[in-house]
Amino acid sequence: MDQTEIFERVVKILNPYVKNQEAFKGISLATHILDDLKVNSARLVDVVLEFEDAFDIEIDDDDVDKVETVGNAVELIEAKIG
Amino acid sequence: MALRPIAPLPAGARQKLVLQREISRLLSPLAIPIMGIALRCVLGYRIENLRGFRREYRRICLERDGPLIICANHLTMIDSCVIAWALGSPWWYFRHFRTLPWNLPERSIFAATRYRRMAIYALKCLPVERGGNRAEITEVLSRLAHAVSNHEVALIFPEAGRSRTGRVDLNSAASGVGRIYRCVPNCRVVCVYLRGDHQDGYSGMPVRGERFRGSVSVIEPKTNYRGLRASRDIARKIAQRLVEMEQEYFDDRK
Repeated sequence: MDQTEIFERVVKILNPYVKNQEAFKGISLATHILDDLKVNSARLVDVVLEFEDAFDIEIDDDDVDKVETVGNAVELIEAKIG
Repeated sequence: MALRPIAPLPAGARQKLVLQREISRLLSPLAIPIMGIALRCVLGYRIENLRGFRREYRRICLERDGPLIICANHLTMIDSCVIAWALGSPWWYFRHFRTLPWNLPERSIFAATRYRRMAIYALKCLPVERGGNRAEITEVLSRLAHAVSNHEVALIFPEAGRSRTGRVDLNSAASGVGRIYRCVPNCRVVCVYLRGDHQDGYSGMPVRGERFRGSVSVIEPKTNYRGLRASRDIARKIAQRLVEMEQEYFDDRK
């Protein structure tokens, strides 16, 4: 699975949690999930758990702390998929 | 259930924690009674079956010398003070200082002025900015986990913020409490449900003269999951217990 495909799936997963639809329209790897997309910080865990299900990977608590931007999420998933 | 190793706390942070605990202990003969007097005499609060609450907490603390996390419903800004008051007398806390819970108050409210910062420092608080810098939040959670692993008691609201619906919301259960619980072997969770008679929804302060009722119970949640899902599952199980206690509260009032 290449980075573009992971990015597209990540964007699809993020969609229901996004409060700032304007920022979502211009989403990129540099987009900050909490600050730009205004995803609730408590909901970030739900997002990451959906990543686990969608990509059949296991993510540890500490890994969540590294997910700030969409790019961080893509990189984390890429690393987990191996 | 697989435990996750506790993140090593830098020496500086460890020393700060010990220093705060000792300063807090020194000030406690003054700070704890003042808090109690303010709640009881100035604000006129009462807790139904206060003796029963304190007896149960004493029993839990003395039953086994192990790590404890108190998890409670969250409706007002001073819940942590009311809970600490409900669970122990000043005399109990002087004798068993570790059982005075560490708290994670919202920095923008409780650490806004120098006097507030001094007051919360003396009452074992580690201010945190909810939804703020994740590295900073993780660092504060590590400090709290370190305190719990040293058999200090921590008070955490599983919903993180006050219940916006006025009821415990399972879906709001954050994973933070699960993360700490999974770091600490043999940890028990003391669930506390406390609610004022006039408390219909969430608010800043309970009304003057409020009468609180509620209950205390102990659980040791287990999970078959791993990783983040395990932390989330633990947090949900704690929140589920609080939901049940809430139901009992309303059933008793019918």
